[in-house]
Amino acid sequence: MRMAFTLAGRYLWGRKLRTLLTTLAVVFGVSVIFGLGSLLPTMVDTFTKILFASAGQVDLAITSSSGSTFDGSVTDEIESVTGVRAASPVLRRPVGMPRGAAVGTLQVIGIEPRSALRVRHYPLAEGTMLANGDRGVTAVGASVARDLDLAVGDFIEIPSARGLRRMRVIGILDTVAAAGTAEAYVTLSDAQMMFGEPGRVSEIEAGFVNGADRAAVEERVRRKLGDKYTVGGIESGSELLASLKVSEFIFNMFGVFALAMGGFIILNTFRTVVAERRHDIGMLRAVGARRRTILNIFLAESLLQGVLGTAVGLLLGAALAYGLIAAINPLYENIVNMTIDKPQFELATLLIAVFLGIGVTVLGALAPAIAASRITPLEALRPQIGDVEERARGRRAGVGAAVLALSAVAMLSQNATAVGTGSVGVIVGLVLVAPQLVAPISNAFAWLIDLIFRSEGEIARSNMQRQPSRAATTASAVMISLSIIIALLGVMVSLTDGFLDYVDRSVAGADFIFLPTNLLLAAGNVGASNELVADVRDVAGVDTVATLRVAKARVNDAAVQVIGIDPVDYPKVATFEFSGSGQTSDIGTLAKDRRLIANGIFAAQNGISVGQDVRVTTINGDKTYQVAAIGSDYLNAKLGTVYISQERLKEDFGTENNAMVLMNTMPAADLTTVQRQLGRLVVAYPQLTLYDTLTFREEQAATLATTMIGMYGLVVVLAIPTLLALLNNLAMSVIARTREIGMLRAVGSTRSQIRRMVMAEALLLAGVGVTFGVVSGVALGYAMVEAMNNIGFKMPYSFPLSGIVAGVVIGFAFSLVAAIIPSRTAAKLDIVAALHYE
Amino acid sequence: MPIVEAHGLTKVYGAGTTAVAALDHVDLTVEAGEFVAVMGPSGCGKSTLLNLLGGLDTPTGGTIEIDGDLVADMTDDQLTLLRRRRFGFVFQFFNLIPVLNATENAALPLTLDGIATAEAHRRAQEWLARVGLGDRMTNRPDQLSGGQQQRVAVARALVTDPALLLADEPTGNLDSKAADDIAALLTQASGEWGRAVLMVTHDPRIAAYAHRMVFMRDGKIVDEARIGSPEDARRAMEKVGLL
Repeated sequence: MRMAFTLAGRYLWGRKLRTLLTTLAVVFGVSVIFGLGSLLPTMVDTFTKILFASAGQVDLAITSSSGSTFDGSVTDEIESVTGVRAASPVLRRPVGMPRGAAVGTLQVIGIEPRSALRVRHYPLAEGTMLANGDRGVTAVGASVARDLDLAVGDFIEIPSARGLRRMRVIGILDTVAAAGTAEAYVTLSDAQMMFGEPGRVSEIEAGFVNGADRAAVEERVRRKLGDKYTVGGIESGSELLASLKVSEFIFNMFGVFALAMGGFIILNTFRTVVAERRHDIGMLRAVGARRRTILNIFLAESLLQGVLGTAVGLLLGAALAYGLIAAINPLYENIVNMTIDKPQFELATLLIAVFLGIGVTVLGALAPAIAASRITPLEALRPQIGDVEERARGRRAGVGAAVLALSAVAMLSQNATAVGTGSVGVIVGLVLVAPQLVAPISNAFAWLIDLIFRSEGEIARSNMQRQPSRAATTASAVMISLSIIIALLGVMVSLTDGFLDYVDRSVAGADFIFLPTNLLLAAGNVGASNELVADVRDVAGVDTVATLRVAKARVNDAAVQVIGIDPVDYPKVATFEFSGSGQTSDIGTLAKDRRLIANGIFAAQNGISVGQDVRVTTINGDKTYQVAAIGSDYLNAKLGTVYISQERLKEDFGTENNAMVLMNTMPAADLTTVQRQLGRLVVAYPQLTLYDTLTFREEQAATLATTMIGMYGLVVVLAIPTLLALLNNLAMSVIARTREIGMLRAVGSTRSQIRRMVMAEALLLAGVGVTFGVVSGVALGYAMVEAMNNIGFKMPYSFPLSGIVAGVVIGFAFSLVAAIIPSRTAAKLDIVAALHYE
Repeated sequence: MPIVEAHGLTKVYGAGTTAVAALDHVDLTVEAGEFVAVMGPSGCGKSTLLNLLGGLDTPTGGTIEIDGDLVADMTDDQLTLLRRRRFGFVFQFFNLIPVLNATENAALPLTLDGIATAEAHRRAQEWLARVGLGDRMTNRPDQLSGGQQQRVAVARALVTDPALLLADEPTGNLDSKAADDIAALLTQASGEWGRAVLMVTHDPRIAAYAHRMVFMRDGKIVDEARIGSPEDARRAMEKVGLL
């Protein structure tokens, strides 16, 4: 093995450009896997920490199993449990601050100061802490004081269900205790009044007596309260955590795709390397090298490249994670008021990145290495034997054609699993038939190439057709890269079209909407009291007013947000997007008994179907609801949601808080006047914003477009392997044809002609890759949209025309960029040296 | 004592109407320490004969015995070991590994045989000194002239103390001075160092260095002659029409 490594090292060092280009492919894949793999857990962890920081420093936190508020008298029950020193009730609500405020969301926490100080430490930086009986005062976190420029004695206006509340700051807390959250503590009675929840709490914090058996006390509390309460954990934000987990999976898949493309590049490189070193292989076999020795030499070379690429990839991945954190922290701070700390470099992520980085490299080299070990000494010492390769290509193309035919049938089946499998089949099939299609496709592009390059185009075409397998491997790498780009852009177009269509349908009947400023944590947001709704109804010209009320629950043990709607008024101002046989009249049936409408994503994830009875955990224990339909409004399409009547919501969850208000006007109403009057009403509720539906639609489209910028960034990153594959192939092509280029120069080709020849070949390669990429990209995009529909994200399929245009432009533009260095290298070759090149 | 004995050696390429006999029932024996030159026009089967005798190719018919063992009975690994330990090869295009220096190239068969690097390099350098490259031991192939590269190839072929040295047009890619030097080196390998040498060439001047000349045409041995001087060689070549 020592000799294998010596030779491998020397060969790698001897071909520095090629080593660099091939290794870059590994570096790219590993850095994506390691970088994003280290970032996502950090985000999840930071989020979890912040969630639990609020429960931290207390021995026990008790919440309702349904996630909704509950009667504060439970505090006494907990305090009576042996081993509990004290229990303190808390009512916590995230409040959307007025637009443009330095703090986006403020956590308003109502506490009973006397008992609270017995279960938790509140470190004061300045001023005094709240005391029982205080009214209209608050103690804020240091970050709030800093961001809002508050000092002790200043006033802060906090939005509440009854309009803005002006509170005097009496203390500033050291926020180390709850890093990342913007907190304002008020007395429990103030909080209950502000949020319209008299007597109710969202959690109870408890402290244990010194030396108590913690597990035993916790168990006693659990037994005492029964399964209506969760002891020890906080459920809020679990939807966001789930969504981060999904992102983690998507990014990991992205990294695996990147490495797969790297694998193609490596496969391509080693095929060329084996072809180039046939004479070396022959000599080694002649002087006594076993087949295994030849195999080991190539595997050692790939191992060294894998180790090198993985090492550099890990470093770059770490830098990527730090860079991304620096880039997204301002955004995060603004939206969810938390800052991500440092990336978490976990051993598992490291091992996965190392395993995939080295594994893919060695795997990519395996087939060429085995092929090299099978060459007999005499074959290796002779010129290449094209007919053997020709036969193998023919067999592979036959299998590929069969795979393509089966995939086409699967794609047309309209079954999501079959469509998904079919799309992968299309890619596999194209990879297999690619070598046979290189000649016809490059001939199809001949007119264009000949038009631009004339005689050089002809030579370039024959060069490429002489090495169809190598050209096909490059085209396959380009294809995978472009197909993902096209598919992704296709999904983005479908998503945009689908959501804008949703917006139109969801608020189709409404002329105006009051919407919370912060939609992300809508489940706990402070909305508006019924007084505001009554005021709106009184505005001249306003016809129907409907509201959305929000609570949290568990349905068949899965966390879900519950939205209460008025079954009569809601359909007049908004519409649902129904799945299956669902229709608008189903909304009316919610008024009867306990019935609910589940949204698509929740129904798909939990296997819920129409007519089924489900168990809903409410503050009054488990209740049985019947599923009336599967459908959703626009705003809640992404989160697991069920819709019930507002009457049931009050009965089972005790909630009357209006998170959103929709209204339409009378036909003869002057919209400008109505809007002005509504604007006056909403001034007292800065957590809500008044929209007319047109502005709302435009704003949603703009928000979507902003979100898509990140996706476009991803598309750009995905295009990098295309560039690497093309650059690698062209560089190798020039190296392999050094002697031939010397001959062309010797018989009179100018440097410019040589440069143009390489350029023409680059464009032809791109032509083949783009053709495959468009076909597979359309298939993959269709499969992705089908998959999204299948998991409840209903969206129409839009043909990815912009994706195809982007793919074609990226493919051809990158081919020209990739050709710059190899074409210059080829043109600069010294004729004599090139003619003697071995 | 014969190192190699071939009887009725036949090699046919293709089948049916396209079948071409590159070798047609050839008998040949090479004794220890003997220097044999195989001559003939292009396509007469010289290289095919050498490849078969060197275990690089398998015959369609006939037998080859190396040190009394039948080649046909050997597995690929046994053949590999045979080439590594009993044969040395010298090719027309040198076939050195471009990324290894002269010592490493010459030591290659020993390294492949698991000999410790230091020992392999010591023996390789001994041979490099014997072939006149004592001052070029750390040079890579691209830093050596054609003649020097071929000397490295000869050192590589001799480093395992093989019984038989197989040289396929060893001077075909060299100028006349370098060609004479290599031919002299092969003579030395046979006469002084006791190796059997089987050389394929179509250069009469180089063939004249051998002890015996074998003439081939259309896949058959048509004549052979023992030679003691350049004059004997000239006469033998005139007889078969090569001069």
